[in-house]
Amino acid sequence: MVWYLQLWATIYEGLEKIWVWTPALLSSTVVTLELTIASVTTALVLGVFLALGKISRNRVVKSVTSAYVFFFRGTPLMMQLFFVYYAFPRMLMELVNNTVALQTGGSWAWLGTFFIEGPLSMENRFFAAYLAFSLNIAAYLAEIIRAAIQSIPKGQMEAAKSLGLSYHQGMALIVLPQSYRRMIPPVCNEFVMVLKDTSLVSTISLMDLTFQTSMIATNQVSTLVYLPAMVIYLIMSAALTILFNGLEKKLSKYD
Amino acid sequence: MTMIRTEKINKSFGGLHVLRDISVSVEQGEVICIIGPSGGGKSTFLRSLNQLEKIDSGKIFVEEQLLLHRDKHTTVRRADKETYQRLLLEMGMVFQQFNLFGHKTVLENVTLAPMRVKKMTKAQAEEIGYALLDKVGLREKANEYPAKLSGGQQQRVAIARALAMEPKTMLFDEPTSALDPELVGDVLSVMKQLAEEGMTMLVVTHEMGFAREAADRVLFMADGMIAEQGPPEALFTNPQNERTRQFLTSIL
Ligand SMILES: Nc1ncnc2c1ncn2[C@@H]1O[C@H](COP(=O)(O)OP(=O)(O)O)[C@@H](O)[C@H]1O
Ligand SMILES: [Mg+2]
Repeated sequence: MVWYLQLWATIYEGLEKIWVWTPALLSSTVVTLELTIASVTTALVLGVFLALGKISRNRVVKSVTSAYVFFFRGTPLMMQLFFVYYAFPRMLMELVNNTVALQTGGSWAWLGTFFIEGPLSMENRFFAAYLAFSLNIAAYLAEIIRAAIQSIPKGQMEAAKSLGLSYHQGMALIVLPQSYRRMIPPVCNEFVMVLKDTSLVSTISLMDLTFQTSMIATNQVSTLVYLPAMVIYLIMSAALTILFNGLEKKLSKYD
Repeated sequence: MTMIRTEKINKSFGGLHVLRDISVSVEQGEVICIIGPSGGGKSTFLRSLNQLEKIDSGKIFVEEQLLLHRDKHTTVRRADKETYQRLLLEMGMVFQQFNLFGHKTVLENVTLAPMRVKKMTKAQAEEIGYALLDKVGLREKANEYPAKLSGGQQQRVAIARALAMEPKTMLFDEPTSALDPELVGDVLSVMKQLAEEGMTMLVVTHEMGFAREAADRVLFMADGMIAEQGPPEALFTNPQNERTRQFLTSIL
């Protein structure tokens, strides 16, 4: 019977530890959630424009948006994050210092340090992460949105035009609204991926759920903390999926 | 008045010459049926009129005003923007696949363009919308979504939707070809009623009964050309062209 009591004692001890860590875990969860929601909503807006650009008949628009999507899908997200956080502000500073600032006698120097001291300063990790994630997710969403738009029968736009609507009206009033329901499953999938991918921000020491978890694990010399952390991720993923299933049902009312 | 007139219009898709020097004129109140084998260019002809396809060369006049003149794939002359829009709206179109807006109710399908293009108020548009749904016998379906309707009902809504923009000419591209046989009659009777009211109509169809009853003139189109035309009775009973004869035997 002794092993049985010992088992319970160990479990109780573990639960007690988890209880103590909970506030720290939850407050870092807020960071993860905020980052996910902020990047995903920004990326949705950007993604719609990129998708429209990719199906545009204007060759310049088409190639610029295609190049954007190609770049962000073809390079590692972590490197994009590092680029936005470390490389870009420094590159800009050097560029400005070596060119414009020299010639204009310093009156443009503010531009060189603008990002480093402002939005992309070392302390401003959240903004850097938000920027990198938004830009990256937009490229993936653009492909999803483009596919959904192109799955709407051509006859819809033709009917709109035959009634005197412009291309833009046809897109905004007829084609896009019907494509929303078709993008929901892949967009939901993408959002769940993003939620998990935000754990990459621990590499720039942003205190998200993953970074907090590894801090606790190191400082408290306890590996137990990974369990509640993963449960929190699971709950968020499940909530997202449920939310999107509901949305899909609601948008299915017309068929 | 001549509602639509084309002068030697040509259209190719890649190497495929689909319309060859088509010259047609359609008088006010005239009902013209276009028949002919599949791939003959009937749809492309209708779609060229309301600019769903861009012609390679030729002239299109609407209500005796030049809409578009093109030569060697470039626009030579075009009505000024305002006139161009107005003339395009004089043509309404009904498609084989109905193309109703699936996310809009029946009434919204009918009122959308009057509100967005003609800037009517919702109340004005709905008044017209209900009147047109009455006309096609579907007022009680006003708040349904298209997917809940039969093919025949959807096509009648599509006719009401086109009529809501008050076009002077209606273009029908095989309006009953996608329908189950028992649903064809309702759509045809709406079209006959329109014809009796004096609507100018260009109808691509294989319904010989409708052509006999309603058409003033039948065009037989094959290989991108109008091979033969004439009053329905004459063309059906005594075709002059060998292709017409073959086609008529093949479908009767
Ligand atoms: N968008 C298009 N691209 C390429 N070929 C087309 C296109 N539309 C029609 N065609 C071709 O043009 C020819 C005429 O088509 P269409 O006008 O639809 O004939 P019909 O309506 O008389 O059956 C066909 O061979 C068809 O395959
Ligand atoms: Mg056709």
